[in-house]
Amino acid sequence: MKRRDVIQRLVIVAGGFVLVPSCLQQPGKASIALKLVEVTDIQEHLLAAVASAIIPATDTPGAGDLGCHLFVLKMLDDCYEKEAQQKFMRGLNDLESYAKQKFSYSFAKCTGQQQQDILKDIEEKKINNADITGFFDIMKEKTLEGYLTSKYVLTNINKYEFIPSEKYNGYAPVKQ
Amino acid sequence: MGDIDNGSVKDRTFDTIVIGSGMSGGWAAKEFTENGFKTLVLERGRDVQHIKDYPTANMFPYEFEHRGEMPLEVRKANPVINRCYAFREDAAHFFVKDAEHPYIQEKPFDWIRGYQVGGKSLMWAKATQRWSNFDYEGPARDGFAVDWPIRYEDMAPWYSHVEKFVGIAGNKDGLAQLPDGEFLPAFPLNVVEDYFKKQLSQKYRHRHVISERVAHLTQPNPIHFEQGRGQCMSRDLCQRGCPLGGYFSSNSSTIPWAKKTGNLTLRPFSVVHSVIYDDKKNRATGVRVIDTNTKKDIEFYAKVIFVNAGALNSNLVLLNSVSTRFPHGLGNDNGLMGKFVAFHNYSARISAQYNGFKEFTTVGRNPAGGGYMPRFRNLFKQETDFLRGYAAGFSAYRSTNRDDSGTGAGLKQRLLYPERGPWKIGSHMMGETIPKETNMVSLDTDKKDAWGIPLLKISVEYDDNDEKMKQDYFEQFTEMLTEAGFVNIERHNSDQNPGIDIHEMGGIRMGRDPRTSLLNKWNQLYACNNVYVTDGACMTSTSTQNPSLTYMALTARAVDHAIQQCKKGEL
Repeated sequence: MKRRDVIQRLVIVAGGFVLVPSCLQQPGKASIALKLVEVTDIQEHLLAAVASAIIPATDTPGAGDLGCHLFVLKMLDDCYEKEAQQKFMRGLNDLESYAKQKFSYSFAKCTGQQQQDILKDIEEKKINNADITGFFDIMKEKTLEGYLTSKYVLTNINKYEFIPSEKYNGYAPVKQ
Repeated sequence: MGDIDNGSVKDRTFDTIVIGSGMSGGWAAKEFTENGFKTLVLERGRDVQHIKDYPTANMFPYEFEHRGEMPLEVRKANPVINRCYAFREDAAHFFVKDAEHPYIQEKPFDWIRGYQVGGKSLMWAKATQRWSNFDYEGPARDGFAVDWPIRYEDMAPWYSHVEKFVGIAGNKDGLAQLPDGEFLPAFPLNVVEDYFKKQLSQKYRHRHVISERVAHLTQPNPIHFEQGRGQCMSRDLCQRGCPLGGYFSSNSSTIPWAKKTGNLTLRPFSVVHSVIYDDKKNRATGVRVIDTNTKKDIEFYAKVIFVNAGALNSNLVLLNSVSTRFPHGLGNDNGLMGKFVAFHNYSARISAQYNGFKEFTTVGRNPAGGGYMPRFRNLFKQETDFLRGYAAGFSAYRSTNRDDSGTGAGLKQRLLYPERGPWKIGSHMMGETIPKETNMVSLDTDKKDAWGIPLLKISVEYDDNDEKMKQDYFEQFTEMLTEAGFVNIERHNSDQNPGIDIHEMGGIRMGRDPRTSLLNKWNQLYACNNVYVTDGACMTSTSTQNPSLTYMALTARAVDHAIQQCKKGEL
């Protein structure tokens, strides 16, 4: 088998996110290959929990189920300045500390309601921590982007059509 | 394909050589080969074959690693091309990266290039409007540049010739400033675009909103099927290359058409160093090429040479074609080559909202983008303190009120099923700029590229006329939109660099007098008449219309002339 084929077989397809896994799945390391950002498996798990809290599973999968947190990491690694990357990681750790302080549990172990309360504290700027804000701004924006453009959503909810099934109509009545 | 050995002179001799395979070069190739001329088309970049070489054409949004966004490293390494709206993950492979092909900016100029077979015809925005005599007579009437040596009547049959083959969607709007052409059915305006159109016709004279005329096959004719192209299905992913051939490009149309004649030799990876001039024969005899793979010099020969390298690169090639007879560049006896470069001023946009028509929305996609407003300023007579005027885009869409606040199941619901917002509109200005001697390109005396060719120095900037025109655009559109009941009118002044409009023109202008221009009315160099320049470099002035259609028509017209001259033994 050629090297290329091996790599292709190793590609993780989570919710349509095509990501190259880290080599050999070293224990303690994140499941995808990143160039600059260093993420542990524990932090990855935490990010999945945050993504799932932002867009939870309902009768359809949530952002964590669809691997949106891996998309966030990919974007963070490739599209952001070093300062933003560092802030993101510090903010992630501070969020975890905040959860432990407030509810005595890791964010991932908090109840759904407790997780929502924590994110609400961030959104409503009740936590005076620029790192957490910096983390959450990127985390939320990219989770939303990843979710709305995920294979699941574009296949099952807002079906993406290369060729629109309806011809262009500039007087289409609004359907109630 | 196209792999010509550095063989005998006979093997390297053609009837005609075309430098460049983009919008105009493709047309030169088509016209020559159809008429039995053995034609060599030289392309500095790689080959891009229709369909086969459109790697992203059928990729879903989620198949792009960064959802279209370019990685930071790439953006930082390529500040110029990164400013181009189409430099995104789905089409970045068709654009020249800054570092690979350096040039010198004496003043900030974003030079956007596509070095491959098809050139920028692959990624163009496809707007295709004829020029009128308001444009061809503009310099003479308003006293700038030099008089065009041609008028609309010279061009009309060639516009028709090109339009029939290319396929243009449009309406016969009956406007003197934007002559009608050979049209396929237009993309329709939507309810708000139509509303604004009606408002303008009631409140103003000579202000019109029409369906944008675009090179899309809304209803292909047999000539289009013969090219292997099919109907535009409104994918609206044109910049990736269209697997249906729904829009016109050299790759989908003129190049394969020329190939079918058996008279085309297409040679990618061939950077043209210079046109060879024979001092004894008093004519150009061929072209000196550097093969970018082998780095070897090769000479090719022909009776007629068409220079279609892209406006500024055509300047570069001819300025670098020095000989005893032409020490300052081929045909450059008056020293004006490289000067009087101009462009389109796209640095202003305006947005607004309309609170009516809530019962309507749009479905499907409109690849034409919406409406077009032909120039109305200083049209019939001078009426402002600046020269010339601007055309404008005008597009309306029903917005969605995306509410990203909060988290959890409520947010999920709002994201997936957002409420409809009001209608919004966007307009952008397309201003004519005045060619000036000081807006120019030249060759650097020291710095050279990877092939030993001098780097191009670009010295082009806006002037007061551009600034006044921009203010007028803001004022006029604010007034028109206010009159028509739009609200939240916002002006956006991008102050973008010249060049990013991707409509750079001039430097080897046409004119009536060899003392003040380089090309005659047939696009021949006055001082070397078997060399023709028919891309953007030949433009005497810029008008407000998108220029590609005029380049194609000028090319077809010039090829016809060259063929007639060859038959008469004049070339």
